[in-house]
Amino acid sequence: MLKIENLHAEIDGKEILKGLSLEVATGEIHAIMGPNGAGKSTLGYVLGGRDGYEVTQGSVTFDGQDLLELAPYERAAAGLFLGFQYPVEIPGISNVQFLREALNSQRRARDEAPLSGAEFLKLARAQADALGMHQDMLKRPVNVGFSGGEKKRNEMVQMGILAPKFAILDETDSGLDIDALKAVGDGINRIMRAPDKSVLLITHYQRLLDYVQPDKVHVLADGRIVRSGGPELAQELEREGYGELAA
Amino acid sequence: MSATLELPTRRREAWRWSDMDALQAAANMPAGDPGADPAALFLDIEGPRLLFVDGMFEPAHSRPDGVAVSPFEAASDHPLGALASGEGWTLTLENGAARGDIQIVHVSTGGENHVPARILLGEDATASVIETYAGRGWANRLCQIGLKRGARLMRSVRLLQREGFVSIRDEADVAEAASLVSVFLGVGGMGSRIDGAITLAGPGAYGEMGGALLTRGEQRQEAAVVMRHAQPEGTSRQIWRAVAADRSTASLAARAEVVRHAQKTDGEQSLRGLLLDRTATVNLKPELEIFADDVQCAHGATVGELDKQALFYLESRGLPETRARGLLTRAFVADAIDRIGEETVREAFLEDAAAWLGEAL
Repeated sequence: MLKIENLHAEIDGKEILKGLSLEVATGEIHAIMGPNGAGKSTLGYVLGGRDGYEVTQGSVTFDGQDLLELAPYERAAAGLFLGFQYPVEIPGISNVQFLREALNSQRRARDEAPLSGAEFLKLARAQADALGMHQDMLKRPVNVGFSGGEKKRNEMVQMGILAPKFAILDETDSGLDIDALKAVGDGINRIMRAPDKSVLLITHYQRLLDYVQPDKVHVLADGRIVRSGGPELAQELEREGYGELAA
Repeated sequence: MSATLELPTRRREAWRWSDMDALQAAANMPAGDPGADPAALFLDIEGPRLLFVDGMFEPAHSRPDGVAVSPFEAASDHPLGALASGEGWTLTLENGAARGDIQIVHVSTGGENHVPARILLGEDATASVIETYAGRGWANRLCQIGLKRGARLMRSVRLLQREGFVSIRDEADVAEAASLVSVFLGVGGMGSRIDGAITLAGPGAYGEMGGALLTRGEQRQEAAVVMRHAQPEGTSRQIWRAVAADRSTASLAARAEVVRHAQKTDGEQSLRGLLLDRTATVNLKPELEIFADDVQCAHGATVGELDKQALFYLESRGLPETRARGLLTRAFVADAIDRIGEETVREAFLEDAAAWLGEAL
């Protein structure tokens, strides 16, 4: 589903990704682990299409399309979802308003009929319930005054509503207590564990992987994948640290 | 144009951002098509309606329903307000009376026109007045407001003139426990100067004057408000938003004065500017002059661009960039417009702002 080949990317002239290659097949969940500064978040932003992250070399193919050619909203419409490490607070726009508009923009881009207000609310309520997020929070401004855990749950609610084919989840486990971690893990499994969907989990620690079993684990260090393996690799990293691998 | 007219110059501090050249040019504008259908400018709500065309009352398109229309002299020492003599309107409510949704529409076709207005509410009386400006030329207005004990006035004003200039001078006295909320929206192509002098003249009075000015092209709009706390336990809010595109300028000056015995004053000024282009200008000037010692006055003034992080967040969820910019800008403006209590009016104002954004972004 996603194929990254020899990806080089820089911010303000500083090269962060230095020839990263990775392939995630349909139906698989992959984890990317690595020390701080390895380029994990940069990878997420480059795949999401954020301004200021310049790809200087390499390619990214998503479902046979050249992902790097697409604007961020087109990537979303194509089925890509980026879960943020720090979900942004947006005063003055309610969650429902934002998400309905986002979903319908995606649907229009795919030549699908937009959902009515009532249809959308039903969908949004069901997803909020499934994630244990209070209904009132749907009406509140996006992430404003939400705790760290609530923001991450909200990311999962958004993922449930938008129903992407491929989710890149950047440090979705950071700042979570054990209940929130479990809710988020369950959310990922429920929404994305399917034969036609894939996930790239970007994480520093192994603990989210206790809830979401990855098919493959990769180690990112200094802008490249330096090692790949099965789920046991995550445990090995947890035990022995990144020191040797990053060196 | 009045032969004896002397306009304030920019050398005076209170007029340093003013565009009196645009006002002069508007006053000299020959008559032409106002490009506005007066009937379409009234919102679809019940209540009295008054139409003024070039400052003249149009009874055929009005149903004043108790709002009096007569010529009177402007009694103001404000340089523009003092010019607003002529046929004007007066709303007088007895103690305890209530009058909802009085709509006044002003259409100008060119040249200058002047209309004075008075809103006098008796004790515990309540009213809501909605004003709309459309057309071209220079529309100059003075609105003098007197609220007796416990009276409540909601005043919503939108400036939709295509070109020319609109100047509005509000002077208000708010008595004990009375409440005045004024919200202005400047989204037309005209220049503007909104002037306010509000005195919280009784204990526990509430005064609010704010709004949003949206400018583009070479346009200049500004608001200058003085909120005077003359008695204890008053509350005031000045919430203004400025959005400037192209080479335009939006300026906001808000001043709060608290006299020596006006203890327990609660004042807030929030002035925020958003630059849609690096060539645009937003001027903000929050001022506090406090002589009492037990007061709480919060003020904030910031100018910036749209938050890039928020923009990317919205785009990453599927919103095209222009839509994401529109949504964020609308939210920015809504802070000020949300102060309008009535939903129909608030929605109409937000739609005007959204229409502006649709064209400017």
